[in-house]
Amino acid sequence: MAAQGRPPVSVRSVNCPNCGAATAVRTFGHAVNVVCQSCRSILDATNPGVTILQRYTEAMKEEPLIPLGTRGKLLETEYEVVGFQVRQIVVDGVSYQWREYLLFNPYREFRYLTEYAGHWNFVATLNALPGGGPTPEGAAARSYGGQRYRHFQTAVAKTLFVLGEFPWQVRVGDTTTGVDYVAPPLMLSAEVDSDKEVTWSLSRYTSGDEIWKGLSLPGKPPRPDGVFADQPSPFRGAVGTMWRRAALFAAIAMVLWIAHLVSARGRQSFAQNFAFDPKSPQDTSLVTPVFELDGRPSAVEIETATNLDNQWMFVGYALVNEETGQAFEVARDVSYYHGVEDGESWTEGSPTDTVALPTVPPGRYFLRIETEGGDLAAAPMRYRVRVVRDVSTSLWFVVALVLIAVPPILATWRSSKFEHRRWQESDHG
Amino acid sequence: MMAKLYLLYGIVVLGLMGTAEYRGWRLTSFNEARTVPRSVRDNPGSYRPVYGGFRRFTGGK
Repeated sequence: MAAQGRPPVSVRSVNCPNCGAATAVRTFGHAVNVVCQSCRSILDATNPGVTILQRYTEAMKEEPLIPLGTRGKLLETEYEVVGFQVRQIVVDGVSYQWREYLLFNPYREFRYLTEYAGHWNFVATLNALPGGGPTPEGAAARSYGGQRYRHFQTAVAKTLFVLGEFPWQVRVGDTTTGVDYVAPPLMLSAEVDSDKEVTWSLSRYTSGDEIWKGLSLPGKPPRPDGVFADQPSPFRGAVGTMWRRAALFAAIAMVLWIAHLVSARGRQSFAQNFAFDPKSPQDTSLVTPVFELDGRPSAVEIETATNLDNQWMFVGYALVNEETGQAFEVARDVSYYHGVEDGESWTEGSPTDTVALPTVPPGRYFLRIETEGGDLAAAPMRYRVRVVRDVSTSLWFVVALVLIAVPPILATWRSSKFEHRRWQESDHG
Repeated sequence: MMAKLYLLYGIVVLGLMGTAEYRGWRLTSFNEARTVPRSVRDNPGSYRPVYGGFRRFTGGK
């Protein structure tokens, strides 16, 4: 029953003069060619006698994913699928086939759905010419609607199979030169036929799920394979946002770092000179006087400054809380060697060593120092131990910068890889 | 979605950085003993700690 105020859409049928089968014609008045659904002969729908334009002799079997006669809503408009064709290009000896579905709404122009490897596009013929002239020439970019489109591919397309009805003359074996320009998710396409007539159209990448839902089709659409010419990148916009946020995070990290540098007191809590003679074992272990580590739990740095000269010594520290007995134990190997070889001087190691102990609670502490090593024939070694409370560090600032940079770097790399896969399929890949 | 997850990630990284700097975290390998006998002040050689992160044989009494 027709909706109020709208004339009913008439569906007529014609009998195929080749096989006698009845074929429904849904766009009666618009259809130029109709394909017999039984024998696939192409019939002239404009001729009252419905003459045969082309008999189909090849055994190619192709079933459209969306059956002819399917109705549904796409982009807020009701359409009926009235035509189907399979087309092909050959690039570097490799054949690429795609499918096109002709959509009809009696109050709108024809629209198309194209499908290749699970990638769908909703296509509309342009009423205005894009910038750059009426005919596609070379690989120069084109513009349309304020958008710039990059040349993607130029190829000769051949029609392999047709079904349904079409508002133009269609034959199996027809060829046109197709030129595609992309600005994902859009694609500007030009088709030049044998009469040099150019038809421009604009495609919009659409998900199969959206089409299946709009047309209420059973099952699921085919899964997309690879990257299509105008497929929008999942990283589009995200990479730029991530880098902007990375800059903001780095700025905040710098502020935190500077605040840390400024607020760290670096207060010396203890300092004393000691001597160590490897020939005297009784000097190898000692404890220092008690000193105060105040403030909040923070890092404590123990500095060992020696007069080592081609010598080594081992120093074991235990920072012991006088009240609780809690101890932080760490061992250090200090060595310094130097010489001249083949006229060039060399050095190895350092006579000074620094170690930081993390999150030491406040309290009264002493150091237990244990020393070892050195050449027994060498002179006694002197060393100075210095304990500094609340020392600053740039370590976490550097670590934070690295952690902040990793995700946008990875996203940029993946985005670049996605675009590489897209353009590999083009004439410029 | 990716950008939103990164925002959350960045906040966590900055939070950890601030905490690490405030608390004085370090990557130093050390050993923490809970109780050291008070007698160590009178006889330092009587206590043999296990030095964290140090693999060389240190000899011993």
